[in-house]
Amino acid sequence: MQRRDFLKATSKFGIGVVAFSSLRIHASTESPDLVVVKDGEPGDLLTEAIKNLGGMNQFISKDDVVVLKPNMSWDRVPEQAATTNPELVAEVVKLCFNAGAKKVKIFDNTLNEPKRCYKRSGIETAAKAVGANVFHVYERKFKKVSFPEGDLIKSWELYEDVLEADKVINMPIAKHHSIGGVSLGMKNLMGFLGGNRGRFHRDFHEKIVDLNTMIRPNLTILDAYRMLLRNGPSGGNLADVALTKTLIVGTDPIAVDAYGVTLFKQAPESKAFLTIGNKRGLGQIDLNKIKIQTISLSS
Amino acid sequence: MQIARRITQVLFLLFFLILFVLAAYPYESFLPSDLFLRLDPLIGFTSSLAARKIILKTLLSLIVFLPTLLLGRIFCGWMCPLGTTLDGVDKFVKRKRDNQEKTSLFRFRWFKYVFLITIFTAALFSVQIAGYLDPISLLTRTMVTVIYPIFVFIVDGFIGSLFSISFIENAVFSVSEFLRSTILPVQSQSFQGSIFVGLIFIAILSLSYFQKRFWCRNLCPLGALLGISSKFRLYKRIVSDDCTSCSLCHKQCRMGAIESDYVTTDQYECINCMDCQTVCPVNAIEFKFAKKASSSKFSLDRRKTLQAGLSGLITMSFFKIDKFNTVNKEQVIRPPGALEEPEFLDRCVRCGECVRICSTSGAGLQVTALESGWEGLSTPALITPMGYCEHNCNLCGKVCPTGAIQDLTMKQKQEMKMGTAHFHKTRCIPWYYGDNCMVCEEHCPVSPKAIQFTTRTVTTIDGRQREVFLPFVEESLCVGCGICTKVCPVVGEKGIYLTNDGETRFQIDT
Repeated sequence: MQRRDFLKATSKFGIGVVAFSSLRIHASTESPDLVVVKDGEPGDLLTEAIKNLGGMNQFISKDDVVVLKPNMSWDRVPEQAATTNPELVAEVVKLCFNAGAKKVKIFDNTLNEPKRCYKRSGIETAAKAVGANVFHVYERKFKKVSFPEGDLIKSWELYEDVLEADKVINMPIAKHHSIGGVSLGMKNLMGFLGGNRGRFHRDFHEKIVDLNTMIRPNLTILDAYRMLLRNGPSGGNLADVALTKTLIVGTDPIAVDAYGVTLFKQAPESKAFLTIGNKRGLGQIDLNKIKIQTISLSS
Repeated sequence: MQIARRITQVLFLLFFLILFVLAAYPYESFLPSDLFLRLDPLIGFTSSLAARKIILKTLLSLIVFLPTLLLGRIFCGWMCPLGTTLDGVDKFVKRKRDNQEKTSLFRFRWFKYVFLITIFTAALFSVQIAGYLDPISLLTRTMVTVIYPIFVFIVDGFIGSLFSISFIENAVFSVSEFLRSTILPVQSQSFQGSIFVGLIFIAILSLSYFQKRFWCRNLCPLGALLGISSKFRLYKRIVSDDCTSCSLCHKQCRMGAIESDYVTTDQYECINCMDCQTVCPVNAIEFKFAKKASSSKFSLDRRKTLQAGLSGLITMSFFKIDKFNTVNKEQVIRPPGALEEPEFLDRCVRCGECVRICSTSGAGLQVTALESGWEGLSTPALITPMGYCEHNCNLCGKVCPTGAIQDLTMKQKQEMKMGTAHFHKTRCIPWYYGDNCMVCEEHCPVSPKAIQFTTRTVTTIDGRQREVFLPFVEESLCVGCGICTKVCPVVGEKGIYLTNDGETRFQIDT
């Protein structure tokens, strides 16, 4: 219920946002803002990253209901890098439970037929094996809610469970995308949307920011173990996939995505959703202004 | 014997239903979902006749056909899921007593032979109409487009109303998840032509008001085929001299196959249900192998046979000459791996099995109304924007009982071109409104993508300059899956549509 109260509060008092985010930055002064771990297997990358952020207890409290949002929107296998790495997802689920989470829910409003996406992405099997609650969305559970901070989106259908969750962890995969240029964490939250999502694509960047004002993940874990470099976001061709063995973890959604953009050898400032998001106070786009810890696991 | 029969009937019906439910992604069961259709001799014979070649898949129907020569219509009495359904319905029918014995009702008996001859005559001219009246095909089609969707709708609605009660929400959720992992779909179900298929089915059930198994006695062309095949059957109903002429068996017979002398049996009609044996108070009736037994006359004389043949020719012609057959069919997108249109139509038995399995995948296939002419009535086609063809799916060909849709490997399927997408430049958001969209490009499953774009600077109505991505279709890459049309956010007529331009239709060498 904390989250919901928070959302309510922020909707009423814009000042609350400023206060809260400054509080959050203050609380994590000892640990880095962004951890980048390289050259390891998915599970190891994650363990190392979370350790350096001060452990999962920093983000998950006892009896939390956690919603985990991997990208499992496509009927693709992990090697095709259109969906989040299943080992990574399983590892996060485990850490959440270790930190005392009561329930970990995983779902996605998929773009291909849902059963295929869940199964072939490998996420359903991997996450269920470690006790997560993986289910297909129910049309009736999309509730039209108002976006108090929305610029273009005044209201849209959002999945009930994410509105009621205590914590949200966003787990995108780093992919090429024709409109955004890249598809990272901020776009990944679209999986919580119902309604005519195609209409979201007009004035895409502004709307993505609007969505991120409404859902604020407590943690963003950007999977760049494999990256889809071309023909995204659906991909399919193994020649378009690079094995980069990298993981980026942080609490600032703009900073995580900004770092993600640099993996594609592009400048964060070239992405409108990042500059707009930055301007509207969602996070820091300038990577020089935050503390980034880079770790390599190869020895 | 009666109990054994009932159990067998129920088991076969259950088996039929299980096979139906299993016809779903990921379709990993070792049981072929089209088993009943392949066991059906009417489907096997007519599709082989219409296609002018023996379709190996349908040879399975000999398992049903050959024993019939010896044993009679056991399929009807013991196995047919529609027959069992009608027997079940019969338990709820309150019939006027004399209906059962009204001789006037027996005059319809030869109708089924007319249907049978019509179907075979048409097949001889390569027009496949068996599927419309074949009981297995008809029941499968009804399951797909009517019974299962209604079941889903009701169960789903029930669960939905329970969801709103907060203190049992968790329990309801668990039940719902269990059902979704077993018999319920995760996508809502809607099918073209459900109402008509449903009405035909209701009519068949309603006819039971007049007689037990009215359909089986008078209309079923498969029953007719098996009936004729039973002419020289050796396994027969034999009445001993103990018979007291009490008439109980005559009244009981669900097929009206017992003459009013209580001894003579209609060998074409008797389905070996053995009710007569059970009701006989003096145990005078036995079923056994016998050379001779008194038999009724065949209900079809030469004149009626000729009439039936003529009706076949005319029906067949109707299917061919109607205007709907000659209009352009460029919007009819056949499933991947469908044979060339004439042979596809010869083989397709309109069972809807492919539509069923597709509804658990891309949900693109629907049975056609008149899109592909009268001859193509009820055949499968990809109907967008309701659904699309899932690029990584080749299941439709796996459940086709006659190989009208070929069973392709995944690689073959993905190389198969069903059609081509085209932009409606007066509907498409970037082309017409000068706004970015690209949802179609995002979803395009082939890599490199068949939808590509150029960048152009446009001047908006308020004089601003803006860069817009203008999409176009690279024809050589497009497979015609139609996901672009499905996801196109334009309300009303979509900004992108499919034609079957460039479709690949040929027999794969195996």
